[in-house]
Amino acid sequence: MTESYYMDGRRLFGATVRLGGTVGHAAMRPAAGAVAAGLRLERAARGAAARRLSEAALTALDAALISPVAEEAVDRAMASRLARHAVGRAFEGPLVDVIAEDLVRYAVVERIVDRLLADGIVEQTVARVLDGPELERVVGTVLESPAIERLIGQTIASRLADQAVARLLDSEELWVLVEEIAESPAVTDAITQQGYGFADEVAGGMRARSRNADAWLERTARRALRRPPR
Amino acid sequence: MNHAVAARVHETAREHTTELRYQGLVTRGIAFALDAAVINLVAIVVAGGVALALSVLSVPKDSIDTVLIAVGGALFVAWSVGYFVTFWSTTGQTPGSRLMRITVRSADDGNIVRPRRAAVRFAGLVVAAIPLLAGFLPILFDERRRGLHDMLAGTVVVEAPELSRESEPSRPRTPRR
Repeated sequence: MTESYYMDGRRLFGATVRLGGTVGHAAMRPAAGAVAAGLRLERAARGAAARRLSEAALTALDAALISPVAEEAVDRAMASRLARHAVGRAFEGPLVDVIAEDLVRYAVVERIVDRLLADGIVEQTVARVLDGPELERVVGTVLESPAIERLIGQTIASRLADQAVARLLDSEELWVLVEEIAESPAVTDAITQQGYGFADEVAGGMRARSRNADAWLERTARRALRRPPR
Repeated sequence: MNHAVAARVHETAREHTTELRYQGLVTRGIAFALDAAVINLVAIVVAGGVALALSVLSVPKDSIDTVLIAVGGALFVAWSVGYFVTFWSTTGQTPGSRLMRITVRSADDGNIVRPRRAAVRFAGLVVAAIPLLAGFLPILFDERRRGLHDMLAGTVVVEAPELSRESEPSRPRTPRR
């Protein structure tokens, strides 16, 4: 019996609460709509203000970037102790190690190199170097440097050079080449010219004079015998 | 190294065919005088050597002088003949001719003469010299500047254009008739 009363009371309480909720909900509906409309209006106003502010900030940034003062400001900032200090602190700290670890972890260098190779950067670089004046300058500088002289001297004095020369002297092709060159007309003519030298010069003068004498003698003899000239 | 490379190296060896230039009396006379100097110098050196050798031997001088003179004379003639015949029939040039850049060639085909014809030329040289060198006078008047010895042997004396290549036989030249 007591339990029956208890159950009836709970049902009555639940029904009362539901009724109150329904009544409250119906009463609060216009207020909730007003609050939601107010919130939407507030968000719209805030977004518009943010956009305006962003545009104004970008406009100000553009104006700052194109102004001559900006360059001067950057120069001064970079020349300041603060910039050096900031860079120094950055290098001192763990930032470099972290960056290096990330470069290795994510294979950044390999990806960049692969991309450069795929784009033909090597060929372009080689062509540029070969066409440009830098190569000649570098080669000239290298050849004129004392370090190269020392290096060449050490190379010549090394056993490697002796072995290379010995191997070259042992090769049959070298002697065939030397033989061909030695028998070439240019070389034989040069040797002949060198060998005769002064004697040949004297003989040449004598030959020229003797041929003139031949012509003179024949002209005289033919004239004496009243014969026509040759 | 292959044949192509060798051919390229020797490419400049192509000889240029030039017109024959017959040589006159003065040039040939100088060449002959130089040859005579060489022949006599060698003969003098050899004779001096033999005389020195004999001086230390106990050879009765009176009995051998005549023989030595006869042998020496024969050797001198043989040496002279051999000198000219050998040079004319091998290179076409004696040392004197080489210095004067002249060469003896066959009048028919421009080739180097054979030993027999070279010997005939030497004999003709002697014959031309006997009548007070009158045998050489035709050199002044002949179209190809030939002396009596050249006519007898059928030879001409022409200019050798290049000193180092005159030893090559049978140059492709056609002498003027």
